[in-house]
Amino acid sequence: MEFIQKKTADNAVEHFLPKAADKGTKLAWDRFEGQLPECGFCESGLSCRDCLQGPCISNPFRDTNKMGVCGKDKDVLTAQSLLRLVLKGTMATLDQVSDFTEGVASGAVKPNDKAETTKVLSQIDTLLKYGGAGMKAAFPKGMMAAWDAAGIVPEGVAKDLFKASQKTEGGIADVDEILARTLKAALLGTFARKLQGGLKKAVFGGGAEEIEVNMGVLNKDTATILLCGRFSPVLKVKIAEAAAKKKVAVMGVCTDPLLPPYTFAPVTTYGSQELPLLTGAVDLIVVGDQFVNPSLAAIAEENKVEAVPAETLKGQSPEVLAKTIVDKAVAAFSLRRSRVRDIPEAKETALMGLSASDLNVQKIALALNKGTIKGIALLMGTNNVKFTQDLPFVTLAQEFLKADILCISAGDASVSLAKYGFLNPRQSAKHCGKGVAELLRASGKDLPAVLDLGLAENGGVAEFLFALAAAAKKSIRELPILACFAEANRSAEAGEALSLVAMGVSTYCWPCLPVTGSPTTMKALSKLCRLQFGAELIIHTDKKMEPLAKAGLIMKVFNRAADPSVNDHPWTDWKK
Amino acid sequence: MKVLMVDKDKCTGCHQCELWCGTEIGSTSKELAKAIHETPQPVPRVYVEGKPFALQCRHCEEAPCLDACPNGTMRRDPETGLVYVNEPTCIACWMCVMVCPFGIIDPSPSLKVAVKCDRCRNMGYPICAEICPTGALSLAERKDYRKKKF
Repeated sequence: MEFIQKKTADNAVEHFLPKAADKGTKLAWDRFEGQLPECGFCESGLSCRDCLQGPCISNPFRDTNKMGVCGKDKDVLTAQSLLRLVLKGTMATLDQVSDFTEGVASGAVKPNDKAETTKVLSQIDTLLKYGGAGMKAAFPKGMMAAWDAAGIVPEGVAKDLFKASQKTEGGIADVDEILARTLKAALLGTFARKLQGGLKKAVFGGGAEEIEVNMGVLNKDTATILLCGRFSPVLKVKIAEAAAKKKVAVMGVCTDPLLPPYTFAPVTTYGSQELPLLTGAVDLIVVGDQFVNPSLAAIAEENKVEAVPAETLKGQSPEVLAKTIVDKAVAAFSLRRSRVRDIPEAKETALMGLSASDLNVQKIALALNKGTIKGIALLMGTNNVKFTQDLPFVTLAQEFLKADILCISAGDASVSLAKYGFLNPRQSAKHCGKGVAELLRASGKDLPAVLDLGLAENGGVAEFLFALAAAAKKSIRELPILACFAEANRSAEAGEALSLVAMGVSTYCWPCLPVTGSPTTMKALSKLCRLQFGAELIIHTDKKMEPLAKAGLIMKVFNRAADPSVNDHPWTDWKK
Repeated sequence: MKVLMVDKDKCTGCHQCELWCGTEIGSTSKELAKAIHETPQPVPRVYVEGKPFALQCRHCEEAPCLDACPNGTMRRDPETGLVYVNEPTCIACWMCVMVCPFGIIDPSPSLKVAVKCDRCRNMGYPICAEICPTGALSLAERKDYRKKKF
């Protein structure tokens, strides 16, 4: 059994661990240890709770219970485990899109670009009803052709999600079909992310911002509201507006930090989301669903902090709710004046929210062509309690940058890296090798070592990949790009990982996705992705692999010394 | 002598003991994700069949398997009292399989040896008891164990 040897790489988090232990506050790490050993059947994707005849398992070591009651074998069970995860992930994305569109359509915010907003809103409507056929122009031709050939171009919520979810109900769909449906559902999420990014730009505008991250951003002398998780950007803006009037600080955890003209400084990352409550410097939290540990409710109560849900069944208008939230925070601040505010001196500057247009893709393409940089690593994902918090991201970024591999990050991975200065433009020389440093300088802007492309749900990564491929005059699959979910956690990340593979980017995912219970499913997934998209989802089962070993493994591929799995690597500069 | 005690009220029949026994004891890779792919299929030494109750070798004091074994492959550790199979000398005659009143000796046709629980005698603690999520499996002195009324 693997107990966590070191919980976090973040000193600010480490500062609070003994304090939490003294108080008897149970954190995610404690609860994880209580869960060990985790169910091996579920971990391998060999369990099923889809009907009330079960729960069923496929026992890998016994012949008596190799199949579920209905006859699902290990191949179908694992494929469906992945499908279930991806369906939930895509629905998470669609839920965000739906919240956003509802808020915008209600007229609660005045869009920056009204015409564009109307256009994107109608595109979203079409996507959800009829799928992505109308979005062909937004994706590279070759890529759409490959998706078309595989039959996985999204056709709308009914055909992609409802139909796919019924595969878990019964029927005789084989592994290949279930996997194709899984990819189709994942792509619906990709399309939705792209449109959500477009809507955000049209409504709020865009642009990178320099902000501060980590727990040191908390204040001693102002009321502070913490926005936790993903919820309607319209409500966030309303809270920010109301807070500005009353000089209340609004910060965030696992939420989009940039919503022009407002910014919400990321106080910490997913793994340690409970700890800001222990600082005493948070007066109220507004809580969404995605990326939020339900434990926040109890820990907030323990620390006399009110937790307000961002949405309830009998919802209020964003303006009214925002005003109530800010008033409550002001009242809480005056009541909590006597409480000690223990704020660690951990603060870093980070340039976040870059987009393809901020980066000189021509120069990046040229650098790839000349070999100045060996490739591009996409660092994605959140924290996962199974790994030392942030350490995989930091180690990978450190090793890649030294070896002249350009690092791009998105979402919470960016905040993880920002805490250690990787997103600080003034520190880029410290981290980068010669090639990357030269490329960053050549871009003419003050860029950090790791380039953040904004929240993953805004589709910045796809936009960058398309722009780069167009600049390099190659397809994405031919470019030396690898993605790495070093601390994969949420279901949405499983969907993102699969859609990156569908775009032609081979993707590493730690920990394993629940397909390891069937070699057939793993092979089918690999074959499907390799043949159709020229990329692979790379699953390593070694649970004890150190981050440095993972970096070494990926670097071998970047150094063209090892192929992740097969010989016919599509990178055009592959030297075999 | 310490034996595995099974609390039938706590056993939920989750098969985790089988899974972990198969991985830690039965497989060569000792890692679930790899053990699943092994041929021959790893053989767990504990059985959860029919009812939520994890059954494994009871290390009987008058063990019929010891008497039935024709060449001394089935042995008792004089120090711990645990009954185990000396695999190199097993001739796969399955006499022990026939006489075991619990039916917990597995005739492994691929390995050509009788496979049974040795209560992880070379490990600090039996793996099944260590991982049992509800604590249904525990290690207890046989004497104490016999005193309990079920």
